[in-house]
Amino acid sequence: MATLHLVRKSAFNSQELLQCCQVLTSLDILILIDDGCYNLNHDLLADIKEIISVKHIKVIKHHAAARGQYVPKDIERISMSDLVSLTFETENVITWQ
Amino acid sequence: MANKVLAILNSKAPYSSTFGKDSLDIALIFGSYEQGVSLFFQGEGVFQLIPNQDGQQLSMKDYLKTFSAFEFYDIEDIYVCLESLQERKLSNAFHIEKVNILPAKEFAAKLKQHDCILRF
Amino acid sequence: MNKLAVIITSPPSSNLSVTAIEYVEAALAMQIDIVGVFFYQDGVMHANSYVDIPSDEYQANAKWLTLKNKFKLPLHLCATAASKRGLCIDETIKPDSQLSNIDNAFAVSGLGELVELTNYADRVVQF
Repeated sequence: MATLHLVRKSAFNSQELLQCCQVLTSLDILILIDDGCYNLNHDLLADIKEIISVKHIKVIKHHAAARGQYVPKDIERISMSDLVSLTFETENVITWQ
Repeated sequence: MANKVLAILNSKAPYSSTFGKDSLDIALIFGSYEQGVSLFFQGEGVFQLIPNQDGQQLSMKDYLKTFSAFEFYDIEDIYVCLESLQERKLSNAFHIEKVNILPAKEFAAKLKQHDCILRF
Repeated sequence: MNKLAVIITSPPSSNLSVTAIEYVEAALAMQIDIVGVFFYQDGVMHANSYVDIPSDEYQANAKWLTLKNKFKLPLHLCATAASKRGLCIDETIKPDSQLSNIDNAFAVSGLGELVELTNYADRVVQF
């Protein structure tokens, strides 16, 4: 069972990413979206990489670019259409906002 | 079509926002339509379950009292995250009965069994 | 065919609603069957026809209207959440009347509609 997690908030001022991390399991996919893009450089991301493969961490391309965020090479940048596809490739969705 | 089971993940303390009440309204509607609904409490959401609260002192309609009606709505699957309790130095005393305390891993496993998950 | 329901709980005054609309547009472009969009909590403000955003800023309400007209996208408003936020939920006042401040693209519904939508949809996404 894979869950799609949409993280819309920065972990520098909220608990959303931490709580997401608490319920994350190995096949899940994590999407950094909206202010969630600021988490690209948060220490929690290292913990998350121990739970899910880095291939399962993705960022909405224009949301990161708009915020001037550098996206490391190993993190895939995706479009909204990709996000729609992922919605149906996973079993359920949790929005962390 | 088979009925879907909804999970509601409660993450906010009860009084400073309307999230707890908004979430409760959804739970009760699903219950009254005989649709499966499970309630999960994580983070600040666990404060919705602690005893000795009295929202009336804050001029609040005390919606937490309605939690005791869950049984009449066939809402029986209630889970609270152990780690969230521990971080807040909370015991296993709640103002309703039959609350299941689960470590994060099991809490996650239960949550993920649901077709639809809303977070408030 | 993939069926999707979308629940909007964020107000139109932030960029979060742009994300929701872009997601819905992308899904519609991919022929996903969106069984309905349900507006709850501050999301109901999307239906307020008195909201007047300067013309050089993002027009969330106009976007919903376009999507509704182009794709027959059902837009449901939670009546209780709406009336708490100053929207006129008087059944005797028609949506296109001058007295109503609810944009007529939106149908006034209750949480029962949310039950229906989650039942019909294969996936439910909250924004």
